[in-house]
Amino acid sequence: MSDEKKSFKVKSNEFVFAFDKAELAALDIFQKSPTWYNLIKDHKSINATIVDANIAEKMVTVEVDGESYTVNIKDELDQMLEKMGFGASSTRHVKEIKAPMPGLVLQVSVKEGQEVKEGERILILEAMKMENSITLHTNATIKKIRVINGQAVEKGQVLVELE
Amino acid sequence: MQKILVANRGEIALRIMRTIRRMGIKSVAVYSEADRHARHVLFADEAVCLGPAPSNQSYLNGDKIIAFAKELGVDGIHPGYGFLSENADFAQKVEDAGITFIGPGPEAMRIMGSKLAAKDCVKAYDIPMVPGIQEAITDVQLAKKIAGQVGYPILIKASAGGGGKGMRIVDKEEELEEQMERAISEATSSFGDGSVFIEKYVTSPRHVEIQVLADKFGNTVHLFERECSVQRRHQKVVEESPSSILTPELRKKMGAAAVMVAKSCNYTSTGTVEFLMDDKLNFYFLEMNTRLQVEHPVTEMITGIDLVEEQIKIARGEQLGFTQDDLKINGHALELRVYAEDPLNNFLPSIGTLEKYVRPQGEGVRVDDGYEEGMAIPIYYDPMIAKLATFGRNRTEAIANMLQAIKDYKIEGLSTTLPFGTFVFEHEAFVSGKFDTHFVKNYYTPEKIKEKQKNNAEIAALVALKHYLDSQEILKPVDNKSTSWKRRLAH
Repeated sequence: MSDEKKSFKVKSNEFVFAFDKAELAALDIFQKSPTWYNLIKDHKSINATIVDANIAEKMVTVEVDGESYTVNIKDELDQMLEKMGFGASSTRHVKEIKAPMPGLVLQVSVKEGQEVKEGERILILEAMKMENSITLHTNATIKKIRVINGQAVEKGQVLVELE
Repeated sequence: MQKILVANRGEIALRIMRTIRRMGIKSVAVYSEADRHARHVLFADEAVCLGPAPSNQSYLNGDKIIAFAKELGVDGIHPGYGFLSENADFAQKVEDAGITFIGPGPEAMRIMGSKLAAKDCVKAYDIPMVPGIQEAITDVQLAKKIAGQVGYPILIKASAGGGGKGMRIVDKEEELEEQMERAISEATSSFGDGSVFIEKYVTSPRHVEIQVLADKFGNTVHLFERECSVQRRHQKVVEESPSSILTPELRKKMGAAAVMVAKSCNYTSTGTVEFLMDDKLNFYFLEMNTRLQVEHPVTEMITGIDLVEEQIKIARGEQLGFTQDDLKINGHALELRVYAEDPLNNFLPSIGTLEKYVRPQGEGVRVDDGYEEGMAIPIYYDPMIAKLATFGRNRTEAIANMLQAIKDYKIEGLSTTLPFGTFVFEHEAFVSGKFDTHFVKNYYTPEKIKEKQKNNAEIAALVALKHYLDSQEILKPVDNKSTSWKRRLAH
């Protein structure tokens, strides 16, 4: 059965799974206490804890192996609604270099309008006392520089725009 | 000694102050504007603000620290690790101000603080050294010539360096210029000294270091080794004591060599002599760290000795209370450095707020940290959140305790090296003890952690779905009851 036809689409942190009712029924799972489940899967005995549950929002937070997973459940109706609302995704082609980590811009090595070759250094970003060369992965022209020397930047902040 | 100022921040400042308090001494904290709410500030008896967040305007401002120390009637300054801990000029100024520097004498620091001077100093003692050129280099052409002679890959190291800063491996000549430029720049900004030197890069080395302790009466002992081979970016992430590869004979030999290195510069206080060890168990003197090491807890756990307490006793002129023969290894200890870094993204810093922060507890678990839930990790300093250490009667038990402690350690809001720790402590190479400093390069890929997370995510998804459906079921009988109630009313 393809995933689209399955009854439930479940997002667990960044991972997405699809299950149908038969799969669920076949599970060897039991509830030891209101928040404690034990599951035997592939002969492994696994304990999981319900940290938080919002049944109306179909959102449950579960802890497995010491890590916490936020789970979003979508049933058949939700999936149908989602499909109907789909198709309006907009794609914009902006070429820009973003900061891979928060840090301080130590030195911008390029000028606006400059043609830069692959592998060339755009700027040096200092984070945690380590200097990191931010280099280019393709040939491009610098359209706009959005930061200055000594500026603190957040992760994902645009450093330069490319043409 | 009545009052000690701790010239540091974070977990180490807090850890030092705990011992200070236990010894009935008052503590003074220093802090930057970014650290007003930090735990070391709250814990201390007195606290002074040094200035803005950047280290060079706060924690590295030695003159300001000394001025405050004098004003507050401080009689000892403990530098911790990093910052001013290996700055001989600072140690000298502290002594000149009539305050005791809790650490080695400035002269020993000066010698060992320069990797080049250190090699020169121990030369007379027949201690093996890594092949390389023992002089500072700034000229790239000269560097290329020397690297060519020693043979690639080579290692560029800052003479004043430590903690992997100002250190670069160069595989081929084309990379030398850029890498050297970065190493010099990093060394200048981190240590105020841009001199670098070049060494042959020993392939498959292990990093084994010996803890030494020396009083002012010429008594020097070693407190065995720490194995620190699991590293990323030349920085240690996992440490243990004892090492799984040292025989009692080798331990004795390395211990004696370390004691000799310490004696060569009339060393006092705690210090660490670092050795590289090749696959044939030959060891080479690397450098001596003239401070308390980050990873000192593992030594404390297997010897039962509080190294900070010993430092303070030595500083105030007491003799060591034990001899080499009194020291025994008891059990096994491991340490994992919990950094705010993303092991799934090349160990890049992952800064943010500790939205959830719950420490592991239990027998054989030690957490050295400086944070609480709700606190943010500042970008200005080292990204270390905590050191998680575990003890066991043997290595197997210590590893089992560590794996459980990692599970019990709840950190949300940013990525940490905790999942990487699980990867290491479960890995066959680590468990068997057959690993070197290339552990990460040889065995680690983010996909392995990712795969495990996906499996757990699926379990979580199934449990959540089951819980959700069962919770919905519970709502139904309520409806039934109301229906039957209505039915009864109708009758």
